[in-house]
Amino acid sequence: MSTRTFLYALWCLGVAALFVLSGIFAWSPFAEGGRAHGYSRISGPTHK
Amino acid sequence: MSLSVNCPNCGAEVVFRSAALPARVCDYCHSLLSRSDTGVMVVGKSSPLPFDVSPVQIGMRGRIEDQPFEVIGRVRWAWTDGAWNEWLLLFGDGSHGWLGDAMGQFMLMRERPFSQVQTRTLKDIGKGKEAVPGAEITLDARKLTIVDARDVLCIAAEGELPFTPTPGWRVYSVDLRGPKGECASLQRDTLATSFYQGHYVTLAELAPTGLRAFEGWTLPAYAA
Amino acid sequence: MPPETELQLPAAPAVKALACPACGGSVALRAAGYSVSVVCQYCSSILDVTDPQVKLITEYRQAAEALEIQLGSRGTLRGIEWEAIGYLQRSAADGGAWDEYLLFNPYHGYRWLITDGRGWSLGEQLTVSPSYSDYETMMLGDRAYTRFYEDSSARVNYVLGEFYWRVAVGEEVVGADWVRPGSMLSREKNAHEVSWTRSILLDHKEMAEAFGVQKGASWPPMPHQPSPNAAWLGTGFKIFAGMFLLLTVLILAFGGTSWVTAGRFPIAPDGTERTVTLGPIHLGHLYQRVEIRADVPRLENGWVDLDYTLVDRKTQQVYEAYGAAERYSGSDSDGPWTEGSRRSSISVASVPAGDYDLVVDYKGNRWNSSTTWDYARGMSVEDPGWLNQDNQPEVVVEVRGGALFASSFFIALLLLGLPLLIGLIRHIQFDKARQAESDFAPTGFAALTQSSEDDEE
Repeated sequence: MSTRTFLYALWCLGVAALFVLSGIFAWSPFAEGGRAHGYSRISGPTHK
Repeated sequence: MSLSVNCPNCGAEVVFRSAALPARVCDYCHSLLSRSDTGVMVVGKSSPLPFDVSPVQIGMRGRIEDQPFEVIGRVRWAWTDGAWNEWLLLFGDGSHGWLGDAMGQFMLMRERPFSQVQTRTLKDIGKGKEAVPGAEITLDARKLTIVDARDVLCIAAEGELPFTPTPGWRVYSVDLRGPKGECASLQRDTLATSFYQGHYVTLAELAPTGLRAFEGWTLPAYAA
Repeated sequence: MPPETELQLPAAPAVKALACPACGGSVALRAAGYSVSVVCQYCSSILDVTDPQVKLITEYRQAAEALEIQLGSRGTLRGIEWEAIGYLQRSAADGGAWDEYLLFNPYHGYRWLITDGRGWSLGEQLTVSPSYSDYETMMLGDRAYTRFYEDSSARVNYVLGEFYWRVAVGEEVVGADWVRPGSMLSREKNAHEVSWTRSILLDHKEMAEAFGVQKGASWPPMPHQPSPNAAWLGTGFKIFAGMFLLLTVLILAFGGTSWVTAGRFPIAPDGTERTVTLGPIHLGHLYQRVEIRADVPRLENGWVDLDYTLVDRKTQQVYEAYGAAERYSGSDSDGPWTEGSRRSSISVASVPAGDYDLVVDYKGNRWNSSTTWDYARGMSVEDPGWLNQDNQPEVVVEVRGGALFASSFFIALLLLGLPLLIGLIRHIQFDKARQAESDFAPTGFAALTQSSEDDEE
C-alpha cells in the first residue's frame, strides 16, 4: 500500500470518526435550533 | 565409453568421454586430437584462447529442462566485428547441446538434422543462397526472423568437441530469432550445412555451479 | 601433470590492460572477449580490440569529457553489481539529447543506464519481441505499452569507453518508443538488425545510492514516469465507495426515529399570536437531535411563524428554534405559480436526555391583505384569506428524535471526496504534461481535456 493510499485511508477514518462523534453528541453546525436565542427574519415571497 | 589416453604430442592425460565427441584439444599443448577405431592421433594445432571474461568455463555444471549437464568444450568464433563462444554441454543422457555466449546473452541450442528442415528459404541458404537479414520464415509453424548473416571464422577451441575445430575454418553463419525467445542458427561450409535450434536462457536458469570466478566480482547468489 | 581440478584455480583477473596506439595511454578493457571497440579515456580515439593487435579506428586527440558516472565505477542496482564501461551521448532528429551508460557484469551481461537529465532508467535488451495488440498498443508478455515516440532517427554524438559493437560518432539508428507507467519499450532499427530494449525507471534515491548521481529536474514528467496520484486513486475510490456505504447505513440507522404527533391546534383568525405547551416529551439518549415538523394544511398566500421552546422540566434548560411555513401562489404572464411549502421542519442539536415541555408560539399571517366588495352589506370588507374561520386553519406539530444530521452526512461525503478530487485534478495535470512530448494524441485522462483544435496536426 502506498503512502498516499495509507494517508487517504487515515483521512477517511478521521472523517468517519468525526461523523460518528457528531452523531453521539447529535451535533450539527447547521441545526436551526440550540441553546442560542431565536432570530428574526423577513417573510414574504421571493418570486419575481 | 570413456577413453583415457596420453596425448600423442605431449604425453598429458586426455579423456574422451563419448564416442559422439571424437575431437579434443589437449589442455596442455593445444594439439587437435581425433579419436577413431585405430586410436588417437594429432590432426593439427589450436591457438590459445584469448583472454575473455565469460562466466562459463570447462567443468561448469548445471541443470536445464530436467537434465544435468557439464560444460566440456568450447569453440570461439570471430567475425569482422567481434567474437563469441559456443560452449559444448554434455547432458546426463549422453546427448550434447551448445550454449552460445555472445554480448552477455546465452542461447541454448541442440543440433537438428538439416534434412528435417522443410523451410524453403533455409533449404535454399543450405544450397548456397545468401540470407537476407530481416526476412521472416516459418519453421514448424513458428515464425522466426533472420537477424544476422555473415562469414565467421573459428579462431580457437578447447576441450571435447563433436567436430575438429581447425583454426581458420570459415563458415557462413545465419542467426534466426523468434518472438518468444526462440533462436536458431544455420552454419554452412563448403562441405555441409548444419542446423541448431533452441531458445535464449539466462545464466540463472541454468542453475550453474563451478562458474568462473573473477577478481573483484562476487559470484551471483544462485551459484555461490 | 594435469592439475587436480580446474575449479580451484585462482580467480581470473577481470580487467585487461591495453596501450592506446594513438597516445600510449593505458586503457583498461573491462569486458574482454565481448568488447569490440574501446574509446581511449585520454585522447578519445576509438580502438578496435577484436584483434590482439589493438588497432586505431578513429584518432581524435581530444580530452575526454567529464561524465556524471565515471567509467570504471561500480554501483549495485536491484541486488546486482554493475560496472560502468561505456558512455554514449545521443540525440534525436528533433533535438532532444540523452546519455546512455553501458553497464557490465560478467555474470549478468549488459544493461543500460539512460538519462535525459530528469531521471534514470535501467535498460535491458530483450530476447523476446513484443507484438502489437492494436495500432496504439504494444504487448510485452501480458503488459501493454502505449505508443509515445514514433520512428525517428537517433544519432551518436559522443562516445567513450568500450562497447560490444564497433560504435562510431555519427552512427544512426531509427528508434520508436512505447510506454507504461514505470517502464518504456524501445525499438531500434538499422539496416541489419531490430533490437528491443525495456527500460525501468529507477528511483532517484536508488541511483544516488548506487552511482552517487544528483537528482535531476522533476518537471515536466518523463514519458514513463508514473503519476504520483494514479497509484492511490484507484484504491482511493474503492475506499470512498466503502465509506459511502458505511455512512449511508449509519445515517439510515441513526438519522431519526419515527414521527410522533405532539399536538394539533387552531390558528387565530385575526392573526394574534398564541401559545401552546405540548408534552411531556421524553428524550432517552445522552444527547439527541430533536426534529420538529409543523404542518399547516390550509396555508395559502400567507405564512405561520413558529417559535419553539424546549424546556427541560427538571433543569429548566431552554432550547429554542424558529420555524416558518410559507406558501404563496398566484398567476402571472407565465401562468400560475406556487412558492414555498405548507410544512416547516427544524432541528435542535445536542439536546440532553430528560423530560421536556415543548412551548410553541405561533401566529398566522396573510401576505396580501386585499379587500373584497361585500354585495350583501354594500361595503368593502377585508378578505381574511386562508385565515377564514370556515377554513379551519390549524397547525399540526410532530416530533421525532435522532442522532445524525443529513448535513453532517453531506459534509462528511464532501470531506471524503475532496482528496480524491484534488488527486484526480493533479493526475490529469501530470498526465497532460507527461504526454505533451509524445508524437501521438493524448490518451487516458489527458485526452478528456484536449480541445478539438489540438487534435489536428
